[in-house]
Amino acid sequence: MDWFEKELSRALERKDPPRGFAERVTARAAGQGGAPVETRSGRPRAFGLPRWLPVAAALLLIAGSGEQAWRRHQGMVAKQQVMLAMRITAGKLNHIQTHMREARQ
Amino acid sequence: MKKVAVLWLVGWLARPLPAQQFKFNLEHLEAKASDSVDVSLNGSTLQFAAKFLDDKDADEAKVKKLISGVDGIYVKSLSFHSDGAWSKADLDSIRAQLREPEWSRILGFKSVEDGETAEVFVRTQNKKITGVAILAAEPRELTVVNIVGAVDLDSLADLSGHFGLPKLEPAPAPRPKKQE
Repeated sequence: MDWFEKELSRALERKDPPRGFAERVTARAAGQGGAPVETRSGRPRAFGLPRWLPVAAALLLIAGSGEQAWRRHQGMVAKQQVMLAMRITAGKLNHIQTHMREARQ
Repeated sequence: MKKVAVLWLVGWLARPLPAQQFKFNLEHLEAKASDSVDVSLNGSTLQFAAKFLDDKDADEAKVKKLISGVDGIYVKSLSFHSDGAWSKADLDSIRAQLREPEWSRILGFKSVEDGETAEVFVRTQNKKITGVAILAAEPRELTVVNIVGAVDLDSLADLSGHFGLPKLEPAPAPRPKKQE
């Protein structure tokens, strides 16, 4: 065995890790993965956001869509009123035009 | 300069908003009516309603065009079970408000046989049309319409042919008299 082979086998020989290595690696991995943040109640928070935020967002969404639906309803009622008024007006004008036409002939 | 702006703003806010141009005075007949329709639409409601009118629908497109310059539409139509529910005085109280020089009667017919009358009045200011009134009375029906604002009379007349009403063709021109 020449000098080079001796050096190579020494470099590649199996060595045991230092004491406590496995525990340190496990602890660090757990810390980087985002340990759940504890709230005052002791329950974990999702993404570190307050628990009331999704509830408030949902309420805003419901209120917004409700308001939009109400405005649409009001618009449809107004449209029906306009169409009713125009139908009556058109009917009367048609009646008048028919009489005028008959009188002319 | 600021004072002028404030005065102008106050004046603008205090300007009379276009509303119904004459009183219908038909409240006392409502109790007798078997059916009644009462429509009161101001300018902002009309413009709001216009957003919901469909351009693809022939009737709605026609109405949308017509109401673009209109500041209000007021309609009262009463139907009765029997003749004689309304009197000539009811119509006269409305007619009395539609006087010259503001108002002029452009159309009118009276059918003694059917007991029907109908009149169309136009309100003008500075040679511009600012309103239309329609009074139509039948023995068992009374209808009053007030359209406020710049009404396009051609578009209004062209409403026949819409809403399921037959389209009226223009009346044939009178035949020239034969010269002998």
